[in-house]
Amino acid sequence: MFSFRSCIYSFCALVLLLVSSGTAALSPEPPENLPEDAELITVGSPYVNIYTGPGRGYPIFHVAEYGEKLWLLKRRTDWVKVYAHRDKSGWVRIVDLQEVYGEDGELVRVPLPDFSDVDSQHFHLGFSYGDFAGASSMGATLGYRFTANLSAELRATQAVGDFSDSQTYQVAVLHQPFPRWKLSPYFMLGTGINITTPNATIVATEDRRDTAMLTGLGVKTYLSRRFALRAEYANHYLLTSREENQEIVEWKLGFDVYL
Amino acid sequence: MEARIRRLPLTVAALLFAAGASAQGDDVLGDIISPDLERREIREAQIDSENIEFTTFGGVINVEDFGSNSLYGGALAYHINEDVFMEAAYGETELGESSFERLSGSAPLLTDEQRELSYYNLSLGWNLFPGEYFIFDDFALNSSLYLIGGVGNTSFADEEHFTYNFGVGARVLANDWLALRLDFRDHVFEHEIFGEVQRTNNLSAQLGVSFFF
Repeated sequence: MFSFRSCIYSFCALVLLLVSSGTAALSPEPPENLPEDAELITVGSPYVNIYTGPGRGYPIFHVAEYGEKLWLLKRRTDWVKVYAHRDKSGWVRIVDLQEVYGEDGELVRVPLPDFSDVDSQHFHLGFSYGDFAGASSMGATLGYRFTANLSAELRATQAVGDFSDSQTYQVAVLHQPFPRWKLSPYFMLGTGINITTPNATIVATEDRRDTAMLTGLGVKTYLSRRFALRAEYANHYLLTSREENQEIVEWKLGFDVYL
Repeated sequence: MEARIRRLPLTVAALLFAAGASAQGDDVLGDIISPDLERREIREAQIDSENIEFTTFGGVINVEDFGSNSLYGGALAYHINEDVFMEAAYGETELGESSFERLSGSAPLLTDEQRELSYYNLSLGWNLFPGEYFIFDDFALNSSLYLIGGVGNTSFADEEHFTYNFGVGARVLANDWLALRLDFRDHVFEHEIFGEVQRTNNLSAQLGVSFFF
């Protein structure tokens, strides 16, 4: 009698073991062509919508449930491409991945860059349009923020005017005294070269290449997490080889993007 | 009254007990309610970002007075978010004969070298209508229709011309990293090759292939 009961117990244990191993086998097999750097995560929120493309305009075609395993493949802007079981792959909003866990149960975060995180060191890239002493100008800047207050920038501008065209290439240091303000002012000091080409149709003169000192002030405002508008006034002081040095005033309107 | 007297020793005992308990030290309570939580470990996902799009394109550009000519070039775009991207583009074409040159039969206005036109621009694009294009009943391609505009420089006839460009385009994605783009742009600049300042609208249509990396 006793041995019969123990037999039943061991049979039940065996069945349980089989069932549990069966459910373990149901977890998704990694696809054949999965890149090596794909990350396996487990969904910790009730559900995650999977879209066909990286944008809100694309339809949701699948939903990953709580406890489901997903592979993170790559990211584009604020979206991550995931691979789910049954060979489904699509795109998930990063904000929907706030609660996902790694293989050791640790919380996994996909970073969302944000200009308001002023203490983080980061690069920013910007385009601008402006007025360079009466000439229309366009510019590009590549900057790096070292501290909440201090950044450095590489700046290139081309201006096309009625009488002459100019190109400027500068290195500048920017100081933002109040980086957390919504409308944050900054001061700028820099140096570089200024190449002036007089228009050939007016007078036949040679190109001039002068060293320029740059001072300026401006204001930045953040329109979205990674997009900031800026307006700037800059004074270029050209150290010319002529009798007098030349001063150029430049106004600029542009935008910066957090890289 | 009797009940009150009977309750007195109880109250005293309760007070004494309470005092004793608090005197016994906080460590007992501390042991009971001390947070025994493991600090949650947080890790950043190490996944690759693909926000840069490289495009090579070819098409037709009509430069006012100089006819329609073939155009080719390239562009590098950075996708800021799902709605907005910034793009730097470069293009080249060779100008044909102007109607003035053809009709008057006089010496050509520009040398061959001066007829080589190149432009570059910095633009901001807005993915206005993201969605899907259905090719068959159950086969759709992700796509977006975008508006784009910016400023740049057009260089020909030994002159630089400040140029505004704006237009519309469609991007159809074959897969995650390969797309087909069709762009229509207007390049607006002023020149004075014919003696007086003239604002020109120069339309281009171009088809491109782009790669995301």
